[in-house]
Amino acid sequence: MIALLAHLTPTGFGPWADGMARLFLEPTELLLVIALVLLAVQSGRPCTDRLPLLLPLAWLLGGLIGLHLSAELLQAVACTAVVAATGLLVALGVRLRARVLLPSVALLATGFALVAGSALAGHPGALAALLGETVAIAVLTTLLGQLLAPPHPRWRAIAVRVGGSWITAAALLMLGWLVRHPQ
Amino acid sequence: MATAALAFSPTAAWAHADAHPGGGFVAGFLHPISGLDHVVAMVAVGLWGAVLGPPALWVLPVAFPLVMAFGGMLGLLGVPIPGVEIGIAVSGLVMGLMVLFELRPPLWLAALIVSAFAVFHGHAHGAELPAGSNALHYSLAFVIATGLLHLVGILLGETRRWPGGRRFVQGAGGVVALVGLWFLEQALT
Repeated sequence: MIALLAHLTPTGFGPWADGMARLFLEPTELLLVIALVLLAVQSGRPCTDRLPLLLPLAWLLGGLIGLHLSAELLQAVACTAVVAATGLLVALGVRLRARVLLPSVALLATGFALVAGSALAGHPGALAALLGETVAIAVLTTLLGQLLAPPHPRWRAIAVRVGGSWITAAALLMLGWLVRHPQ
Repeated sequence: MATAALAFSPTAAWAHADAHPGGGFVAGFLHPISGLDHVVAMVAVGLWGAVLGPPALWVLPVAFPLVMAFGGMLGLLGVPIPGVEIGIAVSGLVMGLMVLFELRPPLWLAALIVSAFAVFHGHAHGAELPAGSNALHYSLAFVIATGLLHLVGILLGETRRWPGGRRFVQGAGGVVALVGLWFLEQALT
C-alpha cells in the first residue's frame, strides 16, 4: 500500500506549522474532518456543539499513541474507504443520534490519528507537529461547525449534501487509483 | 451559439483525450473543463435540474458525481465499458433535448438517465487519472470542477424566472443537443 499519510512537508516555520499545514496537504485527513463536521451538522445541534471538543481530543489521543508505535501504519485504502462512506452518509442526508455519532467520531478520529501519529513518529519535532495538526483540526471544526450550525436555510442543507457527494466521489476515484497504482 | 461553441472547441475536444501528466489540483480542475463534450453534458445536468425544479434541482447534481466516480473507479480498474465515446455524445444530445422540449419525467427516471450517462463520463476520465503523488488532490479538483459546471447549468436554468428566460434556457438546451449530435457524428465515423 502507498504511504499516503506519511508526509510532513516543511513550511519553514517549524514543526508546529508543519503539522498545521499537514492537515491541508494530506487531503484524506482533511476530507474526513470536513465529512464528520458535515455529518454532525446534519445530525443536529447537540452533535455540532460537542464536535469541536471531541474531535481534536480524540485526534490528540490517537496521535499520541501512534507516536509511540514502532512501525508505521499504512492504511491508505481503509482510510479512503472510511472517508467515502462518511461522505456517502452526508450525501444521503442520514441523521444520526448523538449517542451513535459522537462515539463513531471519536473512534474514527482516534483511528486516523493513530495512522497519522505513526507516520509522524520518525520526524524531528513529531509531537509539536501533532499538536499543530490538532489545533488546526480544532479551528477548522469550530469554524465550519459554527458556519453551518442548524437551524439553517434549505439551500445550506442542500449544499451540505452536495459537499458529501463531492467527498465521496473524490474518495471513490482515489480508491480506484490506489488499487490501480499500488506502491 | 452552436457555431461559436464548435469554433472555439479545440481539435482534440474529447474530454478524455487530453492527458495531464502532472497530476495535482490544477490538472484535476482543468481536466473536466478541457473537453467540450464533457462541459456541455455537465451544464445540461444543471439546466435540466432547473427545468425539472426541486427536488431534481439538487438530486441530479448530488447523484451525478457519485455515479461518475463509480464509473471512474471502473475505468481505473480496467473494467471495459463498450461505446464510451458514443455514450458521452448521446448524453449531451439526450439531455439537451430534454431541456429543449422541457420534458419532465418522474424523478426516479431522470436520476436514472443522468446516472447512466455519468458512468460513461466517469469511465472515460477514470482511465486518464494520472499516476502521481497528488491523486486525491486531482480527484477532488476534478469533482469540484464538475460540480461547478452543474452549478453553471443551474444558474443558467434559473433565468427561466425572468421574461424571455424560458426561451433562453430552451435555446441553451438546443445548443447542447447540437454539440452532442456533432460529437456523436464524430464518434460514429
